[in-house]
Amino acid sequence: MGLDDVKEWLYGCTRCGTCKDVLNLFIPACPAGERFQLESYFPSGQVSIARAVSKGILSLADDEIRERIYACTGCLSCEQQCGVYHHQHIFEIVRTLRTEAVTQGLLNPAYMVMYYGLRKDDNVFGKPKSERGDWAKDRGVKYATQDKVDILYHAGCMLSFDPELWEVPRSAISLMRAAGVDVGIMGMEEACCGGRAYEIGYLGEFTKYAQHCVETFNSLGVSKVVTSCSDGYSTFKTLYPRVNIEMRFEVLHMVEYLDQLVNEGSIKFKRKVPMKVTYHDPCHLGRHLSQAGVYEPPRNILRSIPGIELVEMERTRENAWCCGAGAGVSQANPELALWTANERLKEAKATGATALVTSCPWCERNFKDAARECGQQIQIYDVAEIARKAI
Amino acid sequence: MLEASVKSGVAEELAKIVGSEFVSTNQADLYIYSYDMTQAEPSWPDIVVLPKSLEEVQAIVRLANKEKVPVTPYVAGGNIGGLTIPLKGGIVLDLKRMDRIIEVNDIDMYAVVEPGVTFGHMKAYLEKHHPNLMYTYAFSPPSTGVMTNALVQGLDNLSFRYGAASHWVSGLEVVLPTAELVRIGSCAVSKTWQAIVPFPELAGLFLGWQGTTGIITKMAVSLWPKPKHTGGLHFQLMDMESAYELLRVLSRTRIPDDIIGTSYALGRVSQTAMEHKKASIYPAQPRRPDEPEFNVSVEISGNTKDELDAKMKVIEEVVNEELKGIKPIEPRRSPGAYAGFPMQALPVLSGGGGLTWVGTYGPMSRWLETAKKGCELQDKYNITRSCYTRVMNEGHFVGLRWMLPYDKEDPETVKRVEALCAEQLELVLDTGFIPYKTPVWAIRKLEERADPNWVKLHRRIKQMLDPNNILNPGRWGAPQE
Repeated sequence: MGLDDVKEWLYGCTRCGTCKDVLNLFIPACPAGERFQLESYFPSGQVSIARAVSKGILSLADDEIRERIYACTGCLSCEQQCGVYHHQHIFEIVRTLRTEAVTQGLLNPAYMVMYYGLRKDDNVFGKPKSERGDWAKDRGVKYATQDKVDILYHAGCMLSFDPELWEVPRSAISLMRAAGVDVGIMGMEEACCGGRAYEIGYLGEFTKYAQHCVETFNSLGVSKVVTSCSDGYSTFKTLYPRVNIEMRFEVLHMVEYLDQLVNEGSIKFKRKVPMKVTYHDPCHLGRHLSQAGVYEPPRNILRSIPGIELVEMERTRENAWCCGAGAGVSQANPELALWTANERLKEAKATGATALVTSCPWCERNFKDAARECGQQIQIYDVAEIARKAI
Repeated sequence: MLEASVKSGVAEELAKIVGSEFVSTNQADLYIYSYDMTQAEPSWPDIVVLPKSLEEVQAIVRLANKEKVPVTPYVAGGNIGGLTIPLKGGIVLDLKRMDRIIEVNDIDMYAVVEPGVTFGHMKAYLEKHHPNLMYTYAFSPPSTGVMTNALVQGLDNLSFRYGAASHWVSGLEVVLPTAELVRIGSCAVSKTWQAIVPFPELAGLFLGWQGTTGIITKMAVSLWPKPKHTGGLHFQLMDMESAYELLRVLSRTRIPDDIIGTSYALGRVSQTAMEHKKASIYPAQPRRPDEPEFNVSVEISGNTKDELDAKMKVIEEVVNEELKGIKPIEPRRSPGAYAGFPMQALPVLSGGGGLTWVGTYGPMSRWLETAKKGCELQDKYNITRSCYTRVMNEGHFVGLRWMLPYDKEDPETVKRVEALCAEQLELVLDTGFIPYKTPVWAIRKLEERADPNWVKLHRRIKQMLDPNNILNPGRWGAPQE
């Protein structure tokens, strides 16, 4: 897919600037633009770059231009704020520029670990494939490749390879078991969803993983695939249909499934968790899903836990500020990723909350790093970790 | 364009002033500042710089003046006049980082703002900290600069009451092209910024000059009590003659806060845009026989619901009495459009990256012939009628333009739009309407028709304030080439 395929959208933007701020609140919406302030980092600037590249005025061979297009976190807040007819295609334009760069052989060194990691070990961190299921070692979890199970839990790359986050998948499994769910995992045979490859412009890699995952999930005969990874979830839900293979399973995010289990009475939160928390909406669990954004289930869960006081930040749901880790930014521009996360932590602390709760491991990882790096005294949790404390 | 050695030397010095991350000579940045949404000829800057403080602005201007490098101030670039395109290259001074609302004086009802403060920021700030006060809003996106809107004498939703936006400026802080700092108005001699009077009105050396005589670093603008009750009245007219009568009658009531008129056909284009579709003005949408020609809306406010109702009633009665023989179709009431901000400008931003117009201020006495002929020119070019008018300063003058959202990638539309604008410019100059936010091509036309002494005075003022002709050169007061 090249710039010609998005030509229809390249001329929609007048550079009116509406995308820069959250509508009606008039506080910043675009992490890269806000951090660097030059017009080229804002969404309208990125569209301008695409226009100029398509006309041969600018060249992607310019390292600084590529640095700008890789600074977009793919949070889609611009698409939320803009009302012009091209508004749902802004990140598609940015992503097409990235694909164009890859096609031209202009590879970003920061993504080489990811690229070779995917090719060799099916994960974005370049970690040995054999370690993928270590988080579940000796915990008596069923393997869907060996035993027939009803539900497949997909941990995803981040939760599989970051020991500091292993409490998230472990909590998710514990909660499902407590509810009597017949759940299994794929352990070392699990593969990356391919979503990150898509966002950084490697369409071939994405297609390979999409086909592999859909065919594998179909072959296991599971009724549902549940994941705690918002990136993975939105990849399954919004990108996989593009490979045109029938998906004979339902995809649920852990917060959706947990909300269902609570509603049907399969799980009851009995223990008090006295905490004042605020909830961060991951972009991939919100705006990336358009009208199907998952905003209420995590809040429902938190509200149903005794002792939890849930307070909201100024930018929530469709207008949430990004964590900064998305679309390859945590690899290509870690300073921007941490700055963006720290802005969110400041907003979270302004609510008086002592903990920020989210439902995406990429967000959680980046928030933990930013809190450490910037000295922010606030705890970071996944919804499942809090819920597990209550059973 | 600057010579390479000068460019690199200046960029280096600029980096020392603001920090290297806020200076760019990258082609992507330069390209973006080289054009705007209008048909204005692109022209690339050499360097983009983003200062944060007054001291940084002064240091930049001092450097530019010493090196004789052009400086074009920029905030959001949405002026519909090509005003921030650097005609002679040089430095684009992007002021968006200077975005503080420095003071809101609740009793004297003014706000002191830096250049980067937008209408959106102002609205949010007042709602949070001074909910009983309001500023106006322009017919533009919320990212429009409060200061730049006043500097280019824009028309806003209180313009019927108070005139163009420059009329409610009550103080200025200016960095002159030679880098000295001056304050204009009461702030020059006291701590408050309540008024420009009673001094010689030096603000006129800067307001309306398109950044050619100084860089405004602070501006005080009037605020007003926020009305508790607002409402709208909407009329549809079958011909322009009826619309003209109605506009005059409404003006003389002195009741509305705002009076706006638009071609009915533009409303149909707008509807398309509101559905997130491309809004196309070419080919023209033909008028159906039963369709009105023109919409007129008024905004009204009141301290109490009774006051609002009484004002509405008076207007309805006056219109019934005065417009004998003219039957506006279905005059109807609506809630106030104060809540309409910020997506109001969406329709004119959805044409395909292009938006332009011949925008003017002129005498109400010649509104009818000008508006009609302008629409007829649109018919000639097979472009949808898109007249937009706002009655200013209780009817003492009127804003009039034909809004042209257009597809920048369609050469046929671009050609038609350019030709139409050229003819509409001749028309308005013939009827005494003066182009505002005047694009450079219109400035040159105006100068051809103007009293030579008026042109000479402009040049003398520009030369006096900007001896090296560094500030946004090539526009008002440009030396004869």
